[in-house]
Amino acid sequence: MFCTNCGAPVPDSANFCVGCGSQVKRPAASAPVIPQQATAPPPPPVVTPPAYAVPPAYTPPAAVAPPVSTSSMKCEWCHAVIDAGQLSCPRCGATVNVSGVVADRSGWKKVPGRKDMAKLQFGNSFCQIEGAYVPVADMNLAAGDKVYFTHHVLLWKDPQVNITVMPLAGGWKRLFAGMPLVMTEAQGPGHIAFSKDDPGELIPIPIQPGQSLDVREHLFLAATDNVVYDWFQTGIWFTTKSGDESETHYPVGMFMDRFSAKQNPGLLLLHAGGSIFVRELAAQETILVKPTALIFKDPTVQMHLHFEHPSTMFSSWGYWSNRYLWLRLSGPGRIAIQSVFEPIEGEARRMTSFSYATEMRW
Amino acid sequence: MSDDVALERVQCQWCQSMNEKSALACRACGAPLDIRNLVSESGWREAPRIRDMTEIQFSSSSCQVEGEIVPVAEINLGAGDSIFFEHHVMLWKEERVPLTVMQLAGGMKRAFAGMPFIISVATGPGRIAFSRDATGELVMLPLHPGMELDVREHAFLLSSHQIGYSFIRIKGLTNILFGGQGMYMDRFVTTSTPGLLILHGYGNVFERRLAAGESIMVEPGAFLYKDSSVTMQVEFQKLGTGFFGGTNMSLARMTGPGRVGIQSMYVHHRSE
Repeated sequence: MFCTNCGAPVPDSANFCVGCGSQVKRPAASAPVIPQQATAPPPPPVVTPPAYAVPPAYTPPAAVAPPVSTSSMKCEWCHAVIDAGQLSCPRCGATVNVSGVVADRSGWKKVPGRKDMAKLQFGNSFCQIEGAYVPVADMNLAAGDKVYFTHHVLLWKDPQVNITVMPLAGGWKRLFAGMPLVMTEAQGPGHIAFSKDDPGELIPIPIQPGQSLDVREHLFLAATDNVVYDWFQTGIWFTTKSGDESETHYPVGMFMDRFSAKQNPGLLLLHAGGSIFVRELAAQETILVKPTALIFKDPTVQMHLHFEHPSTMFSSWGYWSNRYLWLRLSGPGRIAIQSVFEPIEGEARRMTSFSYATEMRW
Repeated sequence: MSDDVALERVQCQWCQSMNEKSALACRACGAPLDIRNLVSESGWREAPRIRDMTEIQFSSSSCQVEGEIVPVAEINLGAGDSIFFEHHVMLWKEERVPLTVMQLAGGMKRAFAGMPFIISVATGPGRIAFSRDATGELVMLPLHPGMELDVREHAFLLSSHQIGYSFIRIKGLTNILFGGQGMYMDRFVTTSTPGLLILHGYGNVFERRLAAGESIMVEPGAFLYKDSSVTMQVEFQKLGTGFFGGTNMSLARMTGPGRVGIQSMYVHHRSE
């Protein structure tokens, strides 16, 4: 069959066009089926409404294959079960790599590339990701669907999309900590688009019911309203002294954002700098990362400071003593890092106290 | 790309110029002709990603676009051709290419980065190259006779001498929006001869054509260029938080008819 939008040939089992990413329109009898439901028992013979509201405007030729695909595969990035014929994951927009996992020998997986204009679906709404250097998340909100965002990431919107302020739990504490206090919310129907002001990658993360994700501050772009937003104190800090002045530093931020989904799945959009890598830590498995490189972690992943002192032929002198500061993460759970990260403020100064830390002297 | 069989020409979807059927890139704007135009469902067209080392013709000169993340526009000026540009964009030049300064009405009042605002002119023959200091895209805008384009200040990289240049100061509400100094907008007008205007947009650049009366709300920092027929009006929205009266969000309402160009990375103008 052929795409009604761009005319490109499309595999019969595909739900999205491999050329332009738009949804393949079928008659009501072969309404689009959410991939996860592919293994569900066959539907009753009565005509069931489509899983999401798409008018069946196009009648394909008679020789159309049955709508339920016989083969399925897993998206390497978000683990959604998708039709084997698809080139992009309809849940997170990642290019589906048919040759297997892109992983280096150390276990880091690079976030799969994304085709420009890749389109993904959440609820009855769609999100198209546009551009390569500073990608834009262009959302087509269905009536009743909502997204929330910090107001400085808004790029453009249709005039009829209404924006309101979303109340935040513990706003006072965040206010005193200098965190963004105003979280804004937009309601469909209509288009609204977001982008950050740094070159990097846009990371769409579908969040399943019961799942939570801890995200380092300032990386959040937008989320659907069924993603619950909360925050917690990281408890990771050190103080430095210079003359009579002492200063407290928070290498992963004073607060961390926590996003979770209750009954319904949601979509979380993050923006991180440079290239993005993810890995799964086994229980008790540890790894050292630079604190400002961390993007997100599962709540099961524990973290604390770690100091490393390389061996030296010279007797160490001065307060710095050739010391490296790490964030030590221990599994089980998933972690993600970005290749562009800031230097840690105060790292090279004399530390007077710090939160729980481990140490290694070579 | 649409083929015109009778003329055996391919029309560039970005700048509408006609090209030979065998051409891989548009000779007027460098847009690849052999790959599909990227248009989002909401109607934004992505500025064509110009292939490394693509060559573009204008007048008796040519421009080669080199690099992709921070692209360089290398101009090979023909004899008698000239281009004009702001400071901070020149990358290198051949020694023999002479530089002069364009006479501007009101230019003395305008300053850029603490220096007087000067438009320099380079005249051929010879080579001169330009780039801007951030990740982004070069936007090739061949201007046909009678076109009038308004561009965000300091966003233009260079323009060929056939294009008339002036700038206007936006007053009123936009003064509050863009800081106490107000905001200038560069205006490029062609009369009878076509010319080439090259802009640099931060991040990715998208263009959308608004119908008459059609509106879109754009973050003011993202605005890059517009046809002069498109009106721009700033609207404020109060975002109350319960603490200290909240904050204001300002968006520019762009109303057609005409083209609007935006950049995806922008300077956020503090609204408080």
